[in-house]
Amino acid sequence: MSNGELERAGRVVRRGGWITGAALAGVAGIYVMALAYTPVEVRQGPAQKIFYIHAPAAWAALLAFSLVGLASILYLWLEDPRLDRFAAASAEAGVAFCGVVLTTGPIWGKPIWGTWWTWDARLTLTLFLFFLFLGYLVLRQALPDPSERGRFSAVVGILGMLLVPFIHVSVYLFRTLHPQPILIKPSSPSLPPEMLRTLLVSFAVSTLLYVGFVTWRYGLTLALEAREHHARG
Amino acid sequence: MADVPQNQGYLVGAYVVAAVVYLAYTISLWRRARKALRKEELPG
Amino acid sequence: MGEWLRRALVVAAKDIRLELRSKTSLLSGTVFAALVLLIFNFARDPTSLSTLDLAPSALWVTYAFAAVVTLNRGFSVERENAALDGLLLAPIPRGALFFGKYLANFAFVSVVEAITLPLFVLFFDLDLGGKLPGIIAVAGLATAGFLAAGTVFSAMVVRTRFAELMLPVLVLPFMVPPIMAAAEATARLLGGRPLSEILGWLRFLGFYDIAFITLCGMTFAFVVDE
Repeated sequence: MSNGELERAGRVVRRGGWITGAALAGVAGIYVMALAYTPVEVRQGPAQKIFYIHAPAAWAALLAFSLVGLASILYLWLEDPRLDRFAAASAEAGVAFCGVVLTTGPIWGKPIWGTWWTWDARLTLTLFLFFLFLGYLVLRQALPDPSERGRFSAVVGILGMLLVPFIHVSVYLFRTLHPQPILIKPSSPSLPPEMLRTLLVSFAVSTLLYVGFVTWRYGLTLALEAREHHARG
Repeated sequence: MADVPQNQGYLVGAYVVAAVVYLAYTISLWRRARKALRKEELPG
Repeated sequence: MGEWLRRALVVAAKDIRLELRSKTSLLSGTVFAALVLLIFNFARDPTSLSTLDLAPSALWVTYAFAAVVTLNRGFSVERENAALDGLLLAPIPRGALFFGKYLANFAFVSVVEAITLPLFVLFFDLDLGGKLPGIIAVAGLATAGFLAAGTVFSAMVVRTRFAELMLPVLVLPFMVPPIMAAAEATARLLGGRPLSEILGWLRFLGFYDIAFITLCGMTFAFVVDE
């Protein structure tokens, strides 16, 4: 019985692995596109190209967080363990994407804005998501009972979602009161087609990578549950 | 026309760091999954 | 509605009576707050940073951590006495249970804050003038805000091994918006600005309070019930 469980877990794991592999190949493709295909922005220089990695990662982090919140609400309502497994997987993926945003952000900020950190909306929000994800995952680690773990982390997920708009407003208020030093204003407007195309492809790749990570992690959870059932059974 | 700023170092740094983060998580998943899917040492 | 409120007050009264017997939360919280204020004072270079610049931040960092310390003790006592299980067997609506615990926590933390305030005025050599009502309003609203999540999380972490560490990890992100608003408002008040200038911050705090007290009240049931 549990051997069948383990096999099923293995299938999900492998699917996740392949999707992730494809997505990572996509990331490599983005690297090539960004480095070779897109033009260099004259005012910001080559460092502007960090944006092609930074922004899609931020999108994926936000996606991961939203889905944790959604799955949390549904889990408390429907009590379906699949939702709990999904939420946990999404949270881990979220940590990875937050990691990318919070490292590439300052590396981009230093040459473009003249400072390593600036309390801008995206970076600050991602920092909060990072801490919320971490709290979520650490709490799960500390709760061995599956029912408690599912319920408690779902509550954290839901409360976290409510926090986000308040973070937005706080950042806005903070920035109006404490204007951040900006030495070079990043350019906005006319986006040449190469840039737009690369950006769009990068967002798609990011989403695919999210799906890959979540599928893989979901499969891992299934495998761990299968082992536990075998041990108990 | 002003010179284009020579900040490729940052570009390379950021791309390397991002790759490291993604690969680190991928490897973590791979190792944990491999350990969990081992057939020989099924407990009990 | 009256019945619901009465039940909540019964829960709150029980918690308060329990605490008044041992006073551990109040003592830990107050001593901790005093020490933090002390450290702020000595960690400051008097020539570079005026007391008035540092004061609001010092006060709110102190209040934030003192609240966490106070909250931690509260639920630990119940766990030790297995009192929570008995309480859950009673048919109290979980929203009322939450509100009762929340009120008790609010009472404890308010006492700690009230005792700390004169120390704060003393250490930082401040002139409170007519500013006290404003500061009390700000402190009350901010505390009301972050204690909502604090009450829910302290009920959760009671089940975990490293409760004292888990609680800050979970609750601190939720304390940031109210603390930010409170620090800004306090800075203005201490700087002599009139109450009318901080109405925006009070409104922000009010929204935060309503939003979180409501949602925390609703989700508390999932934390205490099977």
